[in-house]
Order: sequence, then structure tokens, then C-alpha cells
Amino acid sequence: MDFRFSDDQLTLAEGVRDYLAGTHGPEVLRRLDEQGNRDPAIWQGLVDMGLTGLCVPEAQGGLGVGLPEAALIAAECGRACLAEPLVDTAFVGVPWLVAQGKLDGLEDVVAGTRRVPVAHAINPWEADGAGAALTSVDPLRNLTAAGQTSDDPHLLNLGALMSAAQLVGLADAMLHQAVEYAKIRTQFGQPVGAFQGLKHQLASCSVAIEFAKPVVWRAAQAMQDRLDSAPVHVSHAKVAASDAAMLTAETAIQVHGAMGYTYEVDLHFWMKRSWALCGAWGDRAYHLKRVDDAVLGGTLPIGPEHTFA
Amino acid sequence: MQLDYTPEQQAFRAEVRAWMEAHVPKEPLVTLECREGYDQHVEWERTLASGNWGMVTWPEAYGGRGLDLIQWLIFEEEYFRAGGPNRANQNGIFLLGPTIMEFGTEEQKQRFLTPMAKGEVIWAQAWSEPGAGSDMAAIQSKAVRDGDHYVITGQKTWSSRAAFADWGFGIFRTDPDSKRHKGLTFILFDMNSPGITRRPIRQLHGDTGFAELFFDEVRVPVENCLAGEGQGWNVAMATAGFERGLMLRSPGRFQATAKRLVELYRANADKASPAAREAVVQAWGAAQAYAYNTYGVAAKIMAGGKIGAEASLNKIFWSELDRSMHRTAMQLLGAAAELKRFADGSVNQWLEGYIFSLSGPIYAGSNEVQRNITAERLLGLPRVGAG
Repeated sequence: MDFRFSDDQLTLAEGVRDYLAGTHGPEVLRRLDEQGNRDPAIWQGLVDMGLTGLCVPEAQGGLGVGLPEAALIAAECGRACLAEPLVDTAFVGVPWLVAQGKLDGLEDVVAGTRRVPVAHAINPWEADGAGAALTSVDPLRNLTAAGQTSDDPHLLNLGALMSAAQLVGLADAMLHQAVEYAKIRTQFGQPVGAFQGLKHQLASCSVAIEFAKPVVWRAAQAMQDRLDSAPVHVSHAKVAASDAAMLTAETAIQVHGAMGYTYEVDLHFWMKRSWALCGAWGDRAYHLKRVDDAVLGGTLPIGPEHTFA
Repeated sequence: MQLDYTPEQQAFRAEVRAWMEAHVPKEPLVTLECREGYDQHVEWERTLASGNWGMVTWPEAYGGRGLDLIQWLIFEEEYFRAGGPNRANQNGIFLLGPTIMEFGTEEQKQRFLTPMAKGEVIWAQAWSEPGAGSDMAAIQSKAVRDGDHYVITGQKTWSSRAAFADWGFGIFRTDPDSKRHKGLTFILFDMNSPGITRRPIRQLHGDTGFAELFFDEVRVPVENCLAGEGQGWNVAMATAGFERGLMLRSPGRFQATAKRLVELYRANADKASPAAREAVVQAWGAAQAYAYNTYGVAAKIMAGGKIGAEASLNKIFWSELDRSMHRTAMQLLGAAAELKRFADGSVNQWLEGYIFSLSGPIYAGSNEVQRNITAERLLGLPRVGAG
């Protein structure tokens, strides 16, 4: 029993965080939004980092890491509001193919020349596919109508898990932006962040985020360990992460005041991604019902002795 | 990350479960906040000690079992699974004990820890004063050095367990010229010392869990000072860290409440609102989240880490969860919520629990103070009033 990421895992995540912070800042998001939102150089950078092959087995040339590590990296993609659909291809699509034993051609995913668009019946579209374009509120999300959808629950669980992971990263980033703004914006002769009216709201976001994270990591480990209860934990994670992200998004725009309502402040990119992911791969009602069925329906053992049931 | 228990941990769980099933009182004890209930709870502390379960993480030399924090969590899970009573000595074992372990001399450890683990000495805390509540650095009670004694004069209030406890601990101003956080000293005192007057405070439910303490030239030996004169604030902050961050409220307590809430929901499902239903599901989720977080904190401490300001997040989370769960229970009970005893004669534990849960966001540092700490120390926002 050791509810911690290893130093190696944390180092990997920090490497991705630093790389994205250095190469994928808000100025890049703005450039993408204004000049066409895909840039092969960004994708190639992710390939060079080994991220497209993160979940590809070593025999196919990947790193062969598990879902907890992938979730940790997905959170970093959320933190950076990464435009490229890396998470869909590499952390949802690849583990789904691997689970079905479909290993052919994964070398091409590692090399970055093959994408794995994933579409589930619960949201019948995919990221960066070949079908007719749909317009998302998120300007960096290229949705296309899916020709074929799957109703495989394993695919849905992978998608929901990685959405939850991105949402905690997105929430972290929005909280950070709000805090930084509250430190420099002065009114009534002091930084607005010195007012308890703002402090307490931001502290409440911190509580929601920090108690959503371990739920996400637990869900990732439950998927990795193939627990029968894993779908319940994924749904728990999706609800907790969505609630934390929505609270933080609404608090962050409030802290920015009228500036928060402008295109000029960066916050909107993260906020729009959060809205999109909250509804994707099973919305709040869907996941809450799965938890409800298990907890009130009695299929999941509950109580103090069942922390890791 | 590895979320399986070892065979040894599973065997330990089975050992705790068997003992608890054999020993936990079948009927709930009378509330700890009155003489009769206090005596029952002290008796339970001694029963626990007879099985050597007083404080499993402490070294054997001090009345413990020398177990690690994962085993402590397993113990707590089984304790609450079995419906174990509230711990009469929680101020001692969860707050003062770890503080003595960190700051005490060998002599102090020998003298205080074993009787604490065995339930022979029950401890009260004495932090707040009439003018020093959330603002604890405003403490005025004085301890004046006189030879090998301190002479304490002043007043403490909201002292948990002080109506009945044997010993107390608190911080006192030893440097009369000092201000705020400086010049304070952490002192342990016999509650029956000449010059101490206890005035139990009647709480809103009518019982007397805490008390005011009046000190009139109370003489306390210098060796009862913890970590040296003038170190009181640092020691008290460490105690508060234990209190908020890990020990005081272990997850099992809330997971047990959440489970009872699910059962209450099932019994009242026909008249429950959709909102109450969602609140019940969320209660399970939040109690689980709190448990995962605590396992993470335990793993961090076992790897040599420390609890910092993130303890404040913890305290906010569990206290507001507890209040929310009990509020939901009151909604599910509907008209019966007001009854102190149900028609079958059983005590309405949800009502007692709801009233108690209202104190959670106030004690151990109000949640407003915890949100300030979170904002200032974790998020880096400017201090209150900073220009």
C-alpha cells in the first residue's frame, strides 16, 4: 500500500510540464486560434518527447507505461491547454487498442504518423477525424462527425478517466491564473487578492481540486489493476474533477472581473476546454448515476474497511 | 502507486476486527459531554489499553505497538467499522502525544506518553482565551518564572474535556514584554493543581463538554515546559498540524457516517428528494476522497515528508463534509429529525451528530482562518491588510 507516484513518475510529469510551459504558452494558443489551429511542429515535439508512444508496449517501440502515469501526463496536457489531440490518440486510443490485442501498426503511432481517432456512441464525434466538421466552443478542439462509433464500455471508461485527469490540470491552471491576477490587480489601494472575499473563494477552489486529484489517481490505478469496480471509480473521478473545474472556472472569471470577460485575458482558453471536457465521455448525470447505482444499489461494498474496494 | 494491502496488513486487519467485534460496546455510550458519559468513555479507553490498542503507532517503550501509519489507518478503519466510541483522550493521543514525541525530552516521553496510551491520564487542551480565539497570538495568560516553578495567572476558555480531564496543556506568555507570537511557552499542568478553577460551559445541547479555566497563581514545575521557554508558538503550530492534517479525524469516521447515511436513505427512499439522494451519493464520494488523500499523506510522512499548510485544506474538507452529511440526514428524517429519541426509544444520533458537526468548522482553528492560511501560504496571496 503506497498511495504515491514514484520519483521517476513525477520526474516524467515534470519534464512534460516544463516542455509544454516552454513551448506551448498562451501566446501559442493565440497564434493557433488566429492562424489555423494545428501546427505539425507541435505534434512533432510531442512525438520527440516520446509521448505518442507512452502507452504503446515496448515491443512496438513505445514506453509501455501504465494508466496512472498516462493520467498524470494527461493532467499536464490540461494544465497547458494542449491543442493537439494527444490524449485522444495516445492515452485513450492506444490503451483501447492494446486491451483488444490490436498491436499492429502501433509503431506508426509512436512515430507520430498514425492517429487513433476515438468515437463513442455517448458522444458521436471524434477529434481531428475525416468527417464533417462540428464547431466546438473550444476553438482549439477540432471535432468531426464520426463515421463509426463504438459502444465499448472500456473505451468510455478510458475517455472519461483521461478527461477527468485533464480537468484537474485545467483547474490547477485556472486557479494559478486567478491567483497571479489577484496579486497584481490593485483596487482600494491594495492587491485585490488581499481581500478575504476573494481569498476564501480561491481557497475553496484549492480544496475542491486537491481532493479531486487523489480520486483521479485512484481511478487510474483501479483501471490499471482491472478491478471490477473500476467503472465506478472512473465515474467518481469524472464527477469530482468536473465539479472542481467548473467551480474554479467560475471563480477565476469572477476574480478577473471585467477583464475575465475579454478575449485579451488567457483564461477563456482553459475555461472553454473545461466546459467541453465536463460533458465529454459521459456527462455529470451519466457518471453520477453510475456511482448512485453502485453505492445506493449495493453493488459496491462501502464503509471504512472498503476504502480500496 | 500500489493500492493493495500486504498479507501482513490483511492479517493485522483481521486481528483488529476480531478484537473490536469482541469488545466494542453493543449499545452506543452516553455522550462524552457529561459526567456519566465521560466515565463510560474513560472506561472504554482502559478496555482499549487492555488490548494494547491505545495508540498503535507509538513505540512499545511508550505504551504503543510500534506500527506504521498504514497500520494506523487500518486500525482506524476497523475501529469505525465496529462502531467504536469517540476517544475520550483524543487531545492527548492525537495532539499532545505526537507533539511530545517530536519536542519532548526522554524524561517527558517516559513520564507522559505511557499513561496517555493506557488511558490513565485524560488530557484537556487549553488554547483559547476570551480575547484570543481565532487570533491565538493575542494570548495574555501569564507564566512567571519563580525558582524552579512557573506561576500561572490568567484565563482559558473553550477547553475541550476540561470539565472532567486530569491534565491540561496550553501556551502561556512567559515574557511579559513580548508581543504576539514571541515569548510564549508550551506548558503541561495537573488540572487538580491548587489555584485552578474549572467552570463547565453549558453547550447548546445542554451538556458540558468544554469549560473555562481560571488560573490563580498556579505553581507548575519548570520540567513541565515542552521544548524550552519561548518556543510555545512553534510547538503549538506543530500540534495544530497534527490536529488538522492527519490524526484528529481519520477517514474511517466519515466513511462510517457515509455508510450509515446510505442506510438511512434506503429506509427513507420513498420520501427523499432527488437533491438529498445526490447528497448521499456525494457523501460517499467525499468520504472516499478524504480517505485517498489521507493514504497519500501517510505515504508521504512514511517517506520522510512533513505536513505543512496543506493541513488546512484537510480541516476545511472534513469539517464541511461532516456537517453536510448530518444536514442530509436531518432532511431524510424529515419530521422525526427534531425528536431526541425516536418512537422506539433509541437516541437520535443524527441530531446529536448534526449539532456536534456545527462545531467542526469552528474548532481546531475556524475554517475562515484555514482559508486565509490556504490563500496566503499555499496560493501565495498577500496577507490580510497588506498594501
